Amino acid sequence: MRHFLIVVTLLLAPAIRSIAQENPYFVTYDHHMEETGNLEISTQGTIAMQKHDLPTLVAPLLELEYGWNGWWTSELYLEGSSQMHDSAVFAGWRLENRFKVLQREHWINPVLYFEFEDVNEASHIRKEIVGHDEPVTESLSLLRQSKARELEGKLILSSNVHSWNISENFIVEKNTSSSEATEFGYAVGISRPLATMASGTDCKLCRENFRAALEFYGGLGNTEVFGLPHTAQFIAPGIVWQLNAANSLKASTAFGLTSASERTLFRVGYTYEIQGFGHKVRQMLSGKTNKGDKLN
Amino acid sequence: MSRTTLENRIYLFLMIVSGATLLAQNAIIDPSWVVPPKAIERQNPMRDKPSAFLGGRKIFEHTCIECHGDATHPRTNNAPDLSSPAVQSETDGSLFWRISQGNSRRAMPSFSNIPETQRWQLVLYIRSISKQVAPVSK
Repeated sequence: MRHFLIVVTLLLAPAIRSIAQENPYFVTYDHHMEETGNLEISTQGTIAMQKHDLPTLVAPLLELEYGWNGWWTSELYLEGSSQMHDSAVFAGWRLENRFKVLQREHWINPVLYFEFEDVNEASHIRKEIVGHDEPVTESLSLLRQSKARELEGKLILSSNVHSWNISENFIVEKNTSSSEATEFGYAVGISRPLATMASGTDCKLCRENFRAALEFYGGLGNTEVFGLPHTAQFIAPGIVWQLNAANSLKASTAFGLTSASERTLFRVGYTYEIQGFGHKVRQMLSGKTNKGDKLN
Repeated sequence: MSRTTLENRIYLFLMIVSGATLLAQNAIIDPSWVVPPKAIERQNPMRDKPSAFLGGRKIFEHTCIECHGDATHPRTNNAPDLSSPAVQSETDGSLFWRISQGNSRRAMPSFSNIPETQRWQLVLYIRSISKQVAPVSK
């Protein structure tokens, strides 16, 4: 037990001087990769309020993101789902890899994204919106019996102009477990900090610690019927608060714009970043520690 | 097609796509990290605002100190000592460009997501770093 506590302390100790640099997006990706050797742990919750008195869905998510190097980031997701007056189920897992194509910063920075999903139809984190949509009317116990192994690809284009970030994602998804058509979707986001100059004080509620965003996302149909009819479309203002150097909290409310969309998606996320995680693990495995990391 | 065969094909596909992307990435990496002349000449708009210095120090402590270290923190990831003559001899514009661009081959991230004003504040602070050399973490 003592050894376990030492290991955990060594891994978490550097985090107090790291900064998460979170963006406020929930669906849109920008071109910034996880820093080399950093591990980011996030929890997110999505509450989907459906129309026509259909049951409300709650979908929690645990996300582990690791930066292998400056151009490759991996993420593992574990997700659950619950429904009002019904059950709570494990909805599956996802593994994604993002590759930054160009080494330098450009006006538009492309990133390639590949994901494998092993989820069931109870999944409702709404991490991406693709294809056509319809309301959830069945119970989770029925939905979880229907498995979906999906391949997803994204082209992420992102630009930083002065203090603004503008990102566009084009999404392609194929369910390999059934003979469904290939589905398409998009996400667009724009964000900016509330203040661009850093104050000298270590304040919590300074405007510089907040970043606001506006996202648009939705489906674009599939290879059989391409276009907007019967797709879910959302507009989602959001904000992230850098609580301190290592912790951030973000929230967003997405408003459904079409009859196939949920009425509202409430999203909340908390992120904790462990800087130098990979370095610390390597040090522990080789039996070396920094002077500053010694436990007295 | 059996489920096992299908799963094997999916994993094979994923491996091929990842491998091809890695090869493509390696092929287009620029080996140099040379600052363009136009960027070198840029002036720091914060240089006449001493109050901006404290903000720069805060950003440094949050963002840079883990790798670059200072008089009390060791350096990691083979990051250069920012108090060294090699770094201090660079122009403000050059430092700003390196912070903004990053160098993904050397684990230096791009910090273009930090507002431009704050990156200039950071340059202002880097100029003030003491000449004491930070220890290197083995």
